Amino acid sequence: MTRVVGMALVRALVLLVAVSVLVFCATELLPSDAAQSRTGGRAGAEQLERLRAELGLDVPAWQRHLSWLAGLCRGEAGTSLVTDRPVVQIVAERLPATLTLAGCALAVAVPLTLLLAWLVGTAAPRWRGPLSTVVTGVAAVPQVVFATGLIVVFAVVLGWLPPVSLLPAAGAPLFDLELLTLPALSLAVPAAAFGAGLLGGAVADTVRRPHVRDAVARGLPRHRVALRHVAPFLLAPAVRVLALTASALVAATAVIEMMFGYAGLGELLVSSIGTRDTPVVQAVAMLAAVVVLAGSAVADVLGAWTDPERGGVRAPA
Amino acid sequence: MISLPARLGALALGLALVTAGCGADAGGSAAPAGQTVQTLRYVAVGAPATAIYDPHGGVGNQSDLTRFALMYDVLATLQPDGALEPRLATSFEPDDQLTTWTIRLRQGVTFTDGRPVRAADVLFSLNRIADKAAENFGRMAMFDMDASRVVDDHTLELVTVKPYAEVPRALASFTFVIPEGTTAFDRPVVGSGPYRMTGGNAQRAVLERNERWWGERPPTPRIELMAVPDPQARAQAVISGQADVASSVSPATVQQVSGNPGLKVVHRPAVTMYPFVMRLDREPFDDPRVREAIKLATDRQELLDKVFLGYGKLGNDLLTPADPSSPAGVPQRTRDVARAKELLAQAGHADGLTLELATTTSYPGMDTAATLFARQLGEAGITVRVTTAPPDTYWTKVFAQSDFYTGFFGGIPFTDVARVSLLSDSPTNETAWHRKDWDAAYDEAMATEDEARRREALGKLQRELRDEGGYVVWGVGDGLDLASSRVSGLPDGPGFDLAFIEQVRLDG
Repeated sequence: MTRVVGMALVRALVLLVAVSVLVFCATELLPSDAAQSRTGGRAGAEQLERLRAELGLDVPAWQRHLSWLAGLCRGEAGTSLVTDRPVVQIVAERLPATLTLAGCALAVAVPLTLLLAWLVGTAAPRWRGPLSTVVTGVAAVPQVVFATGLIVVFAVVLGWLPPVSLLPAAGAPLFDLELLTLPALSLAVPAAAFGAGLLGGAVADTVRRPHVRDAVARGLPRHRVALRHVAPFLLAPAVRVLALTASALVAATAVIEMMFGYAGLGELLVSSIGTRDTPVVQAVAMLAAVVVLAGSAVADVLGAWTDPERGGVRAPA
Repeated sequence: MISLPARLGALALGLALVTAGCGADAGGSAAPAGQTVQTLRYVAVGAPATAIYDPHGGVGNQSDLTRFALMYDVLATLQPDGALEPRLATSFEPDDQLTTWTIRLRQGVTFTDGRPVRAADVLFSLNRIADKAAENFGRMAMFDMDASRVVDDHTLELVTVKPYAEVPRALASFTFVIPEGTTAFDRPVVGSGPYRMTGGNAQRAVLERNERWWGERPPTPRIELMAVPDPQARAQAVISGQADVASSVSPATVQQVSGNPGLKVVHRPAVTMYPFVMRLDREPFDDPRVREAIKLATDRQELLDKVFLGYGKLGNDLLTPADPSSPAGVPQRTRDVARAKELLAQAGHADGLTLELATTTSYPGMDTAATLFARQLGEAGITVRVTTAPPDTYWTKVFAQSDFYTGFFGGIPFTDVARVSLLSDSPTNETAWHRKDWDAAYDEAMATEDEARRREALGKLQRELRDEGGYVVWGVGDGLDLASSRVSGLPDGPGFDLAFIEQVRLDG
């Protein structure tokens, strides 16, 4: 078990550094830079060079990235190149909004994933085909299209919910159900459909296992069969699928936040790429990477621990 | 396999979880504290990611500009008709040469932390603006800041590089005054303006009335200012009741909401301009006949109708038609395709001309304008291929670089346009308008103390640029702000006027 945890940690760390290099290179390869964003195109070449020197953009890219990594090891995330504000401050302003949105979306997505997977996996053979087609279909709809659909139905036609989710400046802004419903559903439903598509097969396989048939044949009550003989076998795949679903959901917040004008981390990431604000881009990307990698590391560990065939959890009698 | 009751049970459990999951977060949806204080909710143009607390650099976001205009005093503002309104300054007096200006300040003004506002604070702020020239288009370029000095607590002396008669206007609107010695701009800096910031952050600020402000008491006790980049989202915020004012919405939105009694639209005339820019030092635009042909082939009315949906004015190739110095009585240029073809033939392009026109989606309608223009030029025998650059590369790869592109001006005064884009030493002389005589005449005009004669001289320069320059100004669009009908007193002047919202009133 220790080995599994250790391996997961090492892999996550290596991947994190790799992500930081990739993100840095990608930002670097884009034309234009933060000095040009700041001057809005109306500065002379000489002025631009001076500003670049002030911002430290005249230093070679690999050196800048190394000193950024070194700073990170000391616990410093640096200063925004565009606003001169500390990156930690900028990110901290956005974090609660995104945590709330992602949390709410997950609170919908997780039970919905399990429910849909159960329905697909246990459906009678003639229903399973159509049902899984619908689930796969919903999963295939891009988030943008799905969100637009929700906006059209609930905001434009029915007028129940606002089409944009501008966070109020004061008070307790993050617990406003009216503002959160549409963006959270836009994130949760496609993610749940995606997860259910993956997990449905595992459910179907499990319910056809001999010991389950045997238990049914012995006349055990259905719910006992489900809890004692089916669920333990599904724990490992379910954890993996849910971790994957959560990652996909976190990644999709960028698009959804932009669409709803919701000022969270995703919107910050997109805008900062636009202004070539590398330290901010790096910070948000690393944060997202940490979430995704932590999710998959947890899934690996839990998966190993809960897999009944490895004897992690007591196998049903 | 699993029975129906089990499946229904699972369904019920799932639904319960779904409800519980979001229900837990719904606890705070009651009215937020402070609802009793009358609050104006203003949604301004701004990318939240670039929101700043430093009022002296490149203030690209209107949301930042508006917050600074509420928090800080400026030396003066410009009224919608271009007249100067003194604010922190009470007088601007030049010497005979128009190079040394004595500026007297209002007495008894204090920052909201109690410190007095002194001439040293003003000079410190002006010096910061000068230091950040690269970011604010050289706003203080006409001053020799090293020679400028504080005379006493309420007097300062500013020295200009050349005789400069428009010093009061150069010091209007942008001269936000902060305390001398301020170095930390990662948080709001104290000011002496009509409001003070009491909460929120740079992208969503809460401002409360400064009861000790020297000016007319603002009618609204509290303002919430939000930065929202998307015009549709801004408009929806007002339509759905999440905000009271949305600045800069699209013409299409204005058409959609017309007739809605709960909403009103404020027009700020002549603030958006997408001129087509031709570089005079590149072929074929170095030939004045080609430039004139292109100006004649333009169907201005069609562009105005389709790009701004008619909300604006027809252009006459004058870059600053709303400026008080804009020449009067210039005949309107109208479309004449036959004459355009004739001129092209004279210039040696009888069998056609092929051009590439760059554009972008930075501001709504810039791409539409280019496509329409390309088709119009096609009717005069000019084949135009349109290329669209994304907003983040447009400003660095196209603007002030390409031979032929869709440009942008946001309703700034003529002297600002001249400084940034028209003089030989301008940092972004995008049309390569290098004329020694024109530069000299400009300096002479700025050295003329008499306002009427100066404006006439500046008007002549604008006329010359209109006739021979590289700008096709087909129209100017109105700035369109959407507001709840309970809101009154919104600014409707050009340029920076939109940021000064301290007298906006909210009824009911």
